[in-house]
Amino acid sequence: MSDSTFTIPIGPQHPALKEPEHITVTIDGEYVVDVKVRLGYVHRGGEKAFEARTYTQGLYLVERICGICAMAHQLCYANNVEGLLGITPPRRADFIRTIIAELERVHSHLLWVGIAGHEIGWDTLFMYTWRDRELVLDLMELATGNRVTHATNAIGGVRRDLTPDMINQILKGMRHLEERVKYYAKAVPAERTVMKRAVGVGILKPQEAVDLCAVGPTLRASGIKRDIRKDDPYSAYDETPFDIITNDGCDVAARVLVRVGELFESLKILDYCIEHLPSGPIRVRVPINVPPAENVSIVEAPRGEDIHYGKSNGTDKPERYKVRAPTLANWASVPTMLKGGYVADLPITLAAIDPCMSCTDRIAIIDIGKRKKWVGSTDQLRRHIKKCHGK
Amino acid sequence: MSWQVVAYDLFSVLIYPGIIFLVALALFYQWVDRRVYARAQNRYGPHHTGPRGLLQPLADLIKLLAKEDIEPSAVDKMIFRAAPILLLTLVFTALFMVPISGTSAIVSFEGDLIFLIFIMTLFAILAFLAGWGSTNRFSLVGGMRAALQTLGYEVPLAVSLIGPAILAGTLSVSNIVAWQAAEGFWSILLNPLGFGIAIIGIIAIIEVVPFDIPEAETEIVAGWQTEFSGRKLGLLRLAHDLELVFVSGLVVALFLGGPTGPIPLIPGIIWFIIKTVIIVFIIGFIRAQFARFRIDQMVSGSWKYLVPLSILQIIILQLYLMI
Repeated sequence: MSDSTFTIPIGPQHPALKEPEHITVTIDGEYVVDVKVRLGYVHRGGEKAFEARTYTQGLYLVERICGICAMAHQLCYANNVEGLLGITPPRRADFIRTIIAELERVHSHLLWVGIAGHEIGWDTLFMYTWRDRELVLDLMELATGNRVTHATNAIGGVRRDLTPDMINQILKGMRHLEERVKYYAKAVPAERTVMKRAVGVGILKPQEAVDLCAVGPTLRASGIKRDIRKDDPYSAYDETPFDIITNDGCDVAARVLVRVGELFESLKILDYCIEHLPSGPIRVRVPINVPPAENVSIVEAPRGEDIHYGKSNGTDKPERYKVRAPTLANWASVPTMLKGGYVADLPITLAAIDPCMSCTDRIAIIDIGKRKKWVGSTDQLRRHIKKCHGK
Repeated sequence: MSWQVVAYDLFSVLIYPGIIFLVALALFYQWVDRRVYARAQNRYGPHHTGPRGLLQPLADLIKLLAKEDIEPSAVDKMIFRAAPILLLTLVFTALFMVPISGTSAIVSFEGDLIFLIFIMTLFAILAFLAGWGSTNRFSLVGGMRAALQTLGYEVPLAVSLIGPAILAGTLSVSNIVAWQAAEGFWSILLNPLGFGIAIIGIIAIIEVVPFDIPEAETEIVAGWQTEFSGRKLGLLRLAHDLELVFVSGLVVALFLGGPTGPIPLIPGIIWFIIKTVIIVFIIGFIRAQFARFRIDQMVSGSWKYLVPLSILQIIILQLYLMI
C-alpha cells in the first residue's frame, strides 16, 4: 500500500448493504485498488439446527434461510428429502411448486431492479417496482396463505391446492404485471443516467465468470448459457418451454437486462403451468423415518444455483444437512468486478450480484489473518468440526 | 439616523423579509419539495403533522435540535463546531441580497452579483472543510467530492448568471430586477439556454439528485455530513433549506423578473413565492427522474456541454445588443 491509497470500510453497517457484511476497499482517489471480503456476520448455525429437527420441521427452518428465496430453498429441501425417500410427488404438486417458484422469481427480480435503482440514486424506480412487487406478494398470499415464508411444500407434495378462483386471480394479476414489466423493460434502458452508470461497470469476462464459479443471472450476463431449470430439470420444468436469457455485455447493464428478460420468461412459464395444470392429488403420504442415503439436489433460485446436500441415517432426523446458497458462489467474483473501477460504482456492482448475506453465512469462514494455526492443517479443522458436532 | 430608520432596518433584517420569514419560507419549501418528490414517486409524502403535513419540516427541525449532539473525540473541534453556524450565516448573508418583497433587496450594492457567486463557491469550500475537520473516511471523500464538483458547475453557472447582467448593464441583482420591471419583460426570453444551465448549476449547489455526489447515501453514507448529529445536523438541514430558497430566489430574480408580475395588484411577495415554488417544483421533478451521476461524468459533462453552451448564450446576447 502506498501513501496515496486509503482504505474505506464498507460494512458491516453501511447504507449500501441491506445485510451485514464487511468489505475493505483500498482506494486511490476515486479508483478502487484492492478489495477484501469478510463473510460470517450473520452465521446462525442453521445446518446444525437441521440435525436436531425432524424432516418435517426442517421444511419450516429451511425457508427461513432467506426471506426472498424461501420457496427456492424449501423446494430444494423437499426435492432432497424426496430423493432420500425415493418417492416422486404427484404431477399436480410439481406444477404448483413451479408456479410458486416462478412467482417468487418475479418478486425477487422486481425487488432487485428497485434496489439497483436505489443504489445509483434513482429512488423513483425503487418506489415503483416495490409497489408492483406488492401485487406478486398478494398473489402469493392468495395461493399459499403467506406473503414471504410461504410454507407451500410438504415432503411428498404441496400443502395447499390451487382453486379455480385463485388461478383466475393469478392470471388477472399476471396480465397487470406483464404490462408493468414491459414498461420497465422500455423505461430503464431508455433512461440515460442509468445506462451511464451501468454500461462498462463491474466487468466480469466470460472465462473469469466460469473460473470463479459465478452462478445465476451474474453468470448468464457474462454470456454463459447455464440454467439448472434447463440443464437438470426438476418439478415441472422438464416440459415447460422457456428460453435461457443471456447477454454478452458482462457488465451491470447486462445483469439488469438479463433479469428483466427473465421476468418475461417467468411470466411465460407461469402461463404455461396454469394452462397445463394437471388434475389429481397434490400430496402422497410418506414414512416418517428416512432410510440411510445421501442426496444432492439443485434448484435454480432467483439468484442462481442453490445446492443442498442431505444425508439420512434411518431416523426421522437428518444426519447432516448442508446448504450452499447462490450468493456464496457469487462472492468470489465480486473483487474481480470491483478492482479498477470507481468508488461510486461500488454499491451498484455489489448489488448487481443480488447478494443475500444471511443465505451465505451458514458456513464458518476461517479467518486466515487471526487463526493462522488452521492454515494447511485439515486435521485440526476436522477435530474442530467434530467438537462442534459433539463427537 | 433616526430611530425609525434603525427600527425599520432591524425589522427587515430580523422579521420581514429577514431571518424569521426566511426560515418559515425555507421550511415551507422543504415541504413543497418533499411533497413533489413523493407524488412523483407515487407516495404521499408528509401529510400528518399540521394541515396537509405543512408542519412536518418544523417538527423534524425541532426534533433534531433536541437530540443528543455527539462530537467524536477525533474531530477538529473548531471547524466541526463552526461549520454549521458559518454555513447558516453565509446563506443568510446571501439571502439578504436577493430581492424578496420588492424590487430592492435588504442589502444591495453595485457588484453584489459577483459577491453572490463568490458566496456560492464558499458553500463548497465550507463543505470541504467540514468533511476534512470530521476526520471520518466518508466525510473526507464527501468533502473532496464537494470541492471537485465545484470545478464542474462553477464556471458555467457563473457565466449563465452574468447573462441577465449584460442585458441590464448592471452587476447588482436588485438593479437587474428593477430593469426587468421597467422594461416590462423577463430576461429568460433572451436567456433560455442560460436559464437551463442555471437550473442545473443550482441543483449542483444544493447537492440533490442527480448531483448529490458529495452526499451519495449508498456510497459514502452522508458524505461530508456523516459525523454531524443533533443540533449541528439540524442547523445544517436548515441551512440546506435556506440554500434552496436562496438559489431559487436568485434564479427568479435574474431570469423571471423577481418579485414583480403582470398584475400590479398582487403584492411582490406573492409573485416571489409563486415563481420560486415553480423552481422548487422543477428541482423536485428532476430529482425524481434521474439517477446520480458519477463525479467524473459530472465534471467532464459539464465542461463538454455546459461551458460551451453558456458561452454561446453570452455570444447570442452580445449579438442581440449590437443589433
